[in-house]
Amino acid sequence: MRITNKTLMPAESVHEDVVDASGSYVIEVPEGARYEGVFLLKGETLKIAVHLTGKNAGCVLKIAYLSSTDLKNDIVCDVYHDAPETYSSQIVKGVLAENGTVDYHGVIHIPFNSQKCEGSQNHHAVLLSDEAKVTCVPELEIYADDVKCAHGSAIGALDEMQLFYLQSRGIDLKEAQKMLIHGFLSDLLPGSFEPQIADWMVKHA
Amino acid sequence: MALLEIKNLHARVGDKEILKGLSLTIEPGTVHAIMGPNGSGKSTLSNVIAGHPAYEVTAGEICFKGKNLLDMRTDERANEGVFLGFQYPVEIPGVSYAAFLKQALISKKKYFGEKPLDPVQFIKRLKVRAQALGISDDMLKRPVNVGFSGGEKKRLETLQMGFLEPDFCILDEMDSGLDIDALRVVGQGVSIMREPHRSFLLITHYQRLLDYIVPDVIHIMVDGRIVDTGDKSLALKLEEKGYADYK
Repeated sequence: MRITNKTLMPAESVHEDVVDASGSYVIEVPEGARYEGVFLLKGETLKIAVHLTGKNAGCVLKIAYLSSTDLKNDIVCDVYHDAPETYSSQIVKGVLAENGTVDYHGVIHIPFNSQKCEGSQNHHAVLLSDEAKVTCVPELEIYADDVKCAHGSAIGALDEMQLFYLQSRGIDLKEAQKMLIHGFLSDLLPGSFEPQIADWMVKHA
Repeated sequence: MALLEIKNLHARVGDKEILKGLSLTIEPGTVHAIMGPNGSGKSTLSNVIAGHPAYEVTAGEICFKGKNLLDMRTDERANEGVFLGFQYPVEIPGVSYAAFLKQALISKKKYFGEKPLDPVQFIKRLKVRAQALGISDDMLKRPVNVGFSGGEKKRLETLQMGFLEPDFCILDEMDSGLDIDALRVVGQGVSIMREPHRSFLLITHYQRLLDYIVPDVIHIMVDGRIVDTGDKSLALKLEEKGYADYK
C-alpha cells in the first residue's frame, strides 16, 4: 500500500489530482495553508488523515468511487481540526453497478479548544443495480461549542424523470444512463479523469 | 392516412384510471388543441403518447404513421417523429445543453442508419437556430434547464423541437410560466414549423396561446375523454362560459 506523508508550508496552497488513489495519506496543513485533493477509486482502499494545525488552515477532499462486480471500495477519512478557525470539506460521490460495494467512514474531529471551525461531509451514491451495497458513516466528533458543521448522505437510483426526458429526445436508455452518470461526476472530477471514467463506463454502465 | 390515430385509449397511474376511452384522429399538417379543466387527463395523454414509464395503458391503441406506437420504446417513438414539449422541462446538472442536443441528433442518425454527425456543421446549425429564438451561446454551454427562467426553458424546448424536426409535436402547457413576449417568441417558433407533413397537439388552459398558434381543431377533454370537438370558436365560447356545460 502506498503511504504518502505531506506537510505543507504555512500559507501554501496545494492541489492534486490522484487517479488510482489506493493508499494511505497523512497531510499536515499549517496556518493559512490550503490542501485540495481529488481522488478517484475503482475498487481500492483509501485512507486519508488531514491535520489542520494552524489558524485559517483548510482542506477540501473530493473523492469519487466507481464500483462493480466484486469491486469493494474502502474509504476512511479523518479530518482533525487541531487549531481554532480551521475549515474542511469532504465531498464523496460514487456510482455502483452489479454487486459492487463501498464502505465510507468519514470523521470530523474538533477538540475543546478549536472554536470557530467549519466542517462538512457530503456523500452521494448512485446505485445502478439492486445488488450493489453502500455503507456510509459520516461522523462528527465535536467537543468545542462554537463551530459550524454539517453532514449528509443520499443514496438512490438514477432519476426517472431525467431518464425519461433524455429518452423522449431519442436517446436510448443505456446512453441516457451514461450521460447522467457523467453529469453526476463531472462537478467533482476535472477533465483529466475522463479516460478513467469512460473506461469504466464501457465495461460496467 | 392519419398521422396519429388513438382509439378507445384507457390508461392509469398506479390504481387510478385517468384516460377512460379516449379517441382522437390527427391528420398530417393540422394543429389540434386540447382544452379541459384541471385533472381531466390532458398531461396524462401527452405522457402516454411519449411513453412515460409511470403510465400503464390498459386498453385501446395508438397508431402513428401506420405503426403501433405502444410497441415502441420511448426513444424509438422520439426517433420515429414524436416530440413532447414538457410543461416542466427537467433539470439535468452536469450535462450541457449543447452536449445533450448533440447526443439526441447522434441517436437519431444512428436510428436511421445515416452517416454520423459532422460536429462543425452541428455547432453552426445550432447557433443559427438558437439565435432566432433569442438563445445565447452561453446558455447552450450551461447544464440542461438548470437555473433557467420559465421563459428560457420554453424557448429551449422550442429550440429542441426545431432541431429534431419531428412530425408530431405535443406541446404540454407551453404557455405556463410565459410572459407575453416569451409567448410571442415561442408562438412564432412553432408557427414557422408548420408544414404539410407536420402536426401539432397543443395542450392549454387558455385562449391566449391560440392567438399565436391558430388551431384547426379544438377538443374539449373532461374526465379522461374528449367530450366536444369544434373549430377555434369553441375556445372563445369556453373563455366566456367555462366548463360548466360539460360537467
